[in-house]
Amino acid sequence: MSASPDDNGDSAVPERIPAMQRLLDNPFLLLFIGVTIPTVYLIWGIMEVAQIPMAR
Amino acid sequence: MAIFPPENRVWWNEPLHRPEIIWITVAFLWGLVMFFTMIYWHFSGQQNLSNEAYRIFPEVYAERTEAMAEKYTVRTETNLDIPVVHPKPGTDVYMLARLWEWWPILELEKGQEYRLHLSSLDWQHGFSLQPTNINVQVHPGYEMVMTITPTQAGEFGVVCNEFCGIGHHTMVGKIIVVDK
Repeated sequence: MSASPDDNGDSAVPERIPAMQRLLDNPFLLLFIGVTIPTVYLIWGIMEVAQIPMAR
Repeated sequence: MAIFPPENRVWWNEPLHRPEIIWITVAFLWGLVMFFTMIYWHFSGQQNLSNEAYRIFPEVYAERTEAMAEKYTVRTETNLDIPVVHPKPGTDVYMLARLWEWWPILELEKGQEYRLHLSSLDWQHGFSLQPTNINVQVHPGYEMVMTITPTQAGEFGVVCNEFCGIGHHTMVGKIIVVDK
């Protein structure tokens, strides 16, 4: 009898994990994204403030 | 319970429960409502004015405000002799914030356009024009300039709505709008 993917036998090919699950299951990737995205907005804000012209 | 790991190795494809999808939909739609309300209210509410921002040294701003007050003062009010300034329509008018006053009192003409400048000499204050409820943050080192046309005659109070210390509650000013 041959094993099918539904069995729990060793020879079964594991189902591919979807990308979103891989992302959400990786706390370090989530940490990286959680730091990077606010940093982009922070830098954007600093650039905006730095570009304010002098009053005439 | 969310505290335990999912039972299935691939949990991403599991269907959402009905209450969960309902709450996600409600939250998303409410987020859209609030987002578009901001844009709509900017144009129809006439409370969040479009402004220009410039950097300016507080002492330069004080000089400009005092120069305007010296030129256009028509009388003084209260026992503190706060000048009431009636600048020419179409000109730049200045109001400064400092601990703890809005200075000077501005007297503007109804239906005339002005460029209203706001800045602070010390730290952050909040310009709040009542009862119209126009609110602008006022920072030292920056001036906000708004092009305004008063549409209603009367006396309008200016209060500080950014807590600025022990005298915050006494920080009140006035803009008077007169019929030509």
